[in-house]
Amino acid sequence: MNNYLCIQRSQPNPPGGAGESEAPTPAQMEQMYAKFNAWKEKFQDNIVDMGGKLGIGTVVTADTVTDGPFVEANEVVGGYMIITAESLEKAVEVAQESPGVMPGSSVEVREISTP
Amino acid sequence: MTTPQLVEHFFRHEYGRLVAILSRRVGVEHLEAVEDAVQSALVKALDSWTTGGLPDNPSAWLFRVVQNDLLGQLRQKTNRTRLLEQYQNDVIGTAEAAPAFLMSSEVQDDLLRMLFVSCDTAIPVESQLVFTLKTLCGFGTREIALRLFISEANAYKRLSRARKHLRENPLRIDQLTGDEHAERLPAILKVLYLLFTEGYLSFEGDSAIRLELCDEAIRLTTILAEHPVGQTPETSALLALMHLHVARITSRQNASGGLLLLEEQDRSLWDQQRIKLGLDCLARSATGNHFSRYHAEAGIAAEHCLAPTFEQTRWDKVVECYRLLELTEPSAIHTLNRAVAVAELQSPEAGLAILNDCQPPTWLVGSYLWAAVMGDLHRRCENHSEAARFRESALKLAPTKAVKELLCRRLDGGS
Repeated sequence: MNNYLCIQRSQPNPPGGAGESEAPTPAQMEQMYAKFNAWKEKFQDNIVDMGGKLGIGTVVTADTVTDGPFVEANEVVGGYMIITAESLEKAVEVAQESPGVMPGSSVEVREISTP
Repeated sequence: MTTPQLVEHFFRHEYGRLVAILSRRVGVEHLEAVEDAVQSALVKALDSWTTGGLPDNPSAWLFRVVQNDLLGQLRQKTNRTRLLEQYQNDVIGTAEAAPAFLMSSEVQDDLLRMLFVSCDTAIPVESQLVFTLKTLCGFGTREIALRLFISEANAYKRLSRARKHLRENPLRIDQLTGDEHAERLPAILKVLYLLFTEGYLSFEGDSAIRLELCDEAIRLTTILAEHPVGQTPETSALLALMHLHVARITSRQNASGGLLLLEEQDRSLWDQQRIKLGLDCLARSATGNHFSRYHAEAGIAAEHCLAPTFEQTRWDKVVECYRLLELTEPSAIHTLNRAVAVAELQSPEAGLAILNDCQPPTWLVGSYLWAAVMGDLHRRCENHSEAARFRESALKLAPTKAVKELLCRRLDGGS
């Protein structure tokens, strides 16, 4: 079994959307909550760390410190989580069904190799 | 790992509760700030609960987040320190006790207060309806538009109208006197009745979505009926008619979504527990000396619920209730319904005679209902050419495919 880092990215202005994405209504939130829990239950053995949302940040290099948010980016890294699976294909399967994958957002799955 | 479940409609109902609680505390003129704060707290909850799990007391968690957010916002927006001080003494001091406070009946009181504030006769009733759906039931404007079969822009316009009125005529919610409560009660019952009939009478769209409106109407009417301020025979009658209708709702359609006539319905599908609830309410409504339209309508629904078969319906009672309904709420639609019942009680000719005697308004003559009943009665009287003429216009006027199918079946013969 390997661990995989899932990085969720979203586009600040999803294509096809009317500019700003509309806030979900309470009824939609209920659906999202149910969907998320169903996913969590289905893949409970694969979830190592539910991770969380990422706030604004700072980029540190050898000689500069640049504060975010990095609005010029097409996509914003919104959150992360760590899952475990026997292969990248399996990990992709888990990520594919996650509620984090929706129009205007994507999840990048990367193997974490530990020596 | 088991995932704790939230009660059904948790997010929507929390929306209504929190908006009601906090509007009372900071004043209804800050309603928009309150709604924004509640909305963002729910979004926060969704993020936090899906990753971190549910807190012990989700309602208290939400209440604290909304309260902090709202205080921050109001502090920025206004210099009304007096309001804030007053609010702080009022609420902040009890913040620690939030869970206990949230469990109390005070929340129900706040919901009711909100209902009394919004059902101001100075606001058009269609705006009150949209406002209730948004503020107390937690629906979004698009969801409201979908449920009321109006455009989203129209729903928004109606909502804005109610909000504008409340902003310009801010009323300390607890300032209403007993007389003012009594004065506003009929308007509240009317909005709840409309909320219910929007869900019950419409055959368009998804039936689960329509049932939600009925459930919301029953939820709010139940709260009203259990509170001293709304505990009137009229409220009980309204709640009775809601239960007695909803008890039969699932039998109105067959498996493929086609509509069924009352005589075609499988009565064993009727929800007997619900019928009992309705009859209990009806018994409670039978006091005082005011006979309302809700009494008449609940009486009719009760007769249908109690009849073991269509043929065994006590049509004399149904006819009597329609007559009383015409007296309390004169409308040609009630005359039309009475004619249908008279046709069962006496003869199709007697039913037709009532309709031939009445002067129906143009809106009714132009509706499929009028044409359908006339077509059916003429068919049963064997006036073939008249029957064919009304049949044709009924089919032309039918609002949906399902209604058209039902009319075809009925007007082509059968019982």
